[in-house]
Amino acid sequence: MIADAHESESRAQAALLSAYIASATFWLIVTTAVGVLLSFKFPFPDLATSPYLSFGRLRPIHTNGTFYGFASVALCGLSIYIAARSSGTGIFAKPVAWLSLALMNVAAIAGTVTLDLGMNDGSQEYREWLWWVRLIFLIGVGCSAVVTAGTVARRAERPIYIANWYTLGGFTFVTVLWIVALIPSYQVGVGQVSLQAFYMHNAVGMWFTFVALGAAYYSLPKLLNRPIYSYSLGVLAFWTNAVFYPVIGAHHYEFSPLPWWLQTLAIVFSVGMLIPVFAGTANLLLTTRGGWDIVRRSYALPFFAAGIAYYFLGSSQGTFEALRTAQAYWHFTSFTVGHSHATMYGFITFIIWGAVYALLPLATGRQPSLLLTGVHFWFALVGVTLYVLVLSIGGTLQGIEWASGNPFINSVEAAAPFWLARAVAGTMMFIAHLVFAYNVYVMTVPQRRAAAAKAQPA
Amino acid sequence: MSRPMDRLWVLLTASFVVYACLALLTGVIPAMILSNTKPTPGLSPLDAQAARGREIYVAEGCSYCHTQQVRPLAQDLVFGRPSTAGDYAYATPQLLGTERTGPDLSNIGSRQPSAVWNYIHLYEPRAVVSESVMPAYPWLFVVKDRAAPGDVTVPVPPGYAPAHGVVVATPDALALVAYLRSLKQPSLGRTK
Repeated sequence: MIADAHESESRAQAALLSAYIASATFWLIVTTAVGVLLSFKFPFPDLATSPYLSFGRLRPIHTNGTFYGFASVALCGLSIYIAARSSGTGIFAKPVAWLSLALMNVAAIAGTVTLDLGMNDGSQEYREWLWWVRLIFLIGVGCSAVVTAGTVARRAERPIYIANWYTLGGFTFVTVLWIVALIPSYQVGVGQVSLQAFYMHNAVGMWFTFVALGAAYYSLPKLLNRPIYSYSLGVLAFWTNAVFYPVIGAHHYEFSPLPWWLQTLAIVFSVGMLIPVFAGTANLLLTTRGGWDIVRRSYALPFFAAGIAYYFLGSSQGTFEALRTAQAYWHFTSFTVGHSHATMYGFITFIIWGAVYALLPLATGRQPSLLLTGVHFWFALVGVTLYVLVLSIGGTLQGIEWASGNPFINSVEAAAPFWLARAVAGTMMFIAHLVFAYNVYVMTVPQRRAAAAKAQPA
Repeated sequence: MSRPMDRLWVLLTASFVVYACLALLTGVIPAMILSNTKPTPGLSPLDAQAARGREIYVAEGCSYCHTQQVRPLAQDLVFGRPSTAGDYAYATPQLLGTERTGPDLSNIGSRQPSAVWNYIHLYEPRAVVSESVMPAYPWLFVVKDRAAPGDVTVPVPPGYAPAHGVVVATPDALALVAYLRSLKQPSLGRTK
């Protein structure tokens, strides 16, 4: 009887994780197909001229879809699964977990359709979805938060595992952030600029960073079969990130009419962010120490290695980019787009992939082929590295053209070849996503068929 | 041995309180104070048509490529004088932007006052700036066999014009161009 209950819980966990990852993969494909189309509109501006395929409407579909439809859904699913596995217990309130997935998908569909019809909440980056769409999504994330917290509350051991610190922290922060962002009364004129600065950066660093690090803190020790290097270092990074990060948003509006002290404070705390970034990177790398032989043979670990490297590079880049001298050149250029892909893609997305390849086969008992996982890894890694590199160069050239006082169109001409190269890089990344989607199919769907076949009487 | 932080509720409450305080201090309170910024003297709210044009500007996502924010840097002065907080008193949602793939528009009404240029440029940017990567917005126009009385026709250059008929601006195009032409920075007067 106990064995039966255990098996049915395992199956339920596998089904839930499979559904979250499959749903996230669907949004990854849709929104990065949109991203590829957007990238080709730079070299070919008259490509697909239609209101429903225009740059200004598709851009927020790409950003919100990747942030919320893909990354948030994947990380919610991983958080719930990690909470159950690390606590050695069943998932709390499974119907609520399914409701969460449904609500997030309803929001992603409604958000995508309304944006395409030209309905947005004032072109405020990463919160363009109409207020009621964001409310649906917030309730969806809230459901995942309740399930994760409820599951951790059932744990057998007294300490809360460090991975759950990070995911629960992320859930708490994102709930506060989205409520703050929804209330319009203090968002008038330059007041909204100030709140937007706060929102757009916190959405990344107080949500994705925390839940992705949570996924890494669970998966890495699991894959390497050894404990995390230091619990204290993890806690230090947690609190320094939580305290420093909220202040740094204004570095997106340097030289703007926002109060100068607010901009300066943002720069100072951007430098402070080196502490959690160094601590987090060191902790994860030291956990891997001497295990490079395992990394080479594993199909999940290379994704973590790349993710941690981009966490370190992308975050440190953010700190130096925030300095006023750098912003005078790089602000408003494509350099920033390169940076956001280094972090949201190089860091967050690679960690998600690593966790999916680490945990999904564990849940379903189905492994993807090593060859196709390698194809996914190399296309994605070479693609994003090329992407960041060419936009960094193109963005720098834009900045130099402006500083030289040349006619504006010179900056467009200078960046044009690099925008074309970006489209090529984006295509490589998209091919990687198609391979990933096939791998997810292998890891999930046949498992159910096999289970169904087993259930049939012989 | 029991460590208090091991308890779930302490972790959740501590995270919540720390972040809620920081969100108030660095997000909400500055936003409240700044929301009461007085308008720059000489700045007036948009008229109904320009306000409609601004809605189209938002709907089409123009601010993803065009900033409305002149920085106090020498290289930015080509776009106008440095922006001040009061310039945005009537500008909600804010459209300062974070990317400048195309030029800044803070003062475009003064820099490019021609309505005709704007119509042609919106219909097909490459008809007036051959290297432009801006999208075309033909859906803000209709092609008619002949213009009706009161129609605003657009003299699209040959090669970009449709083979037959005339290009007529829709009310949306009229509104958007009215908004663009309204973007004029009020002078701050003499400063010391």
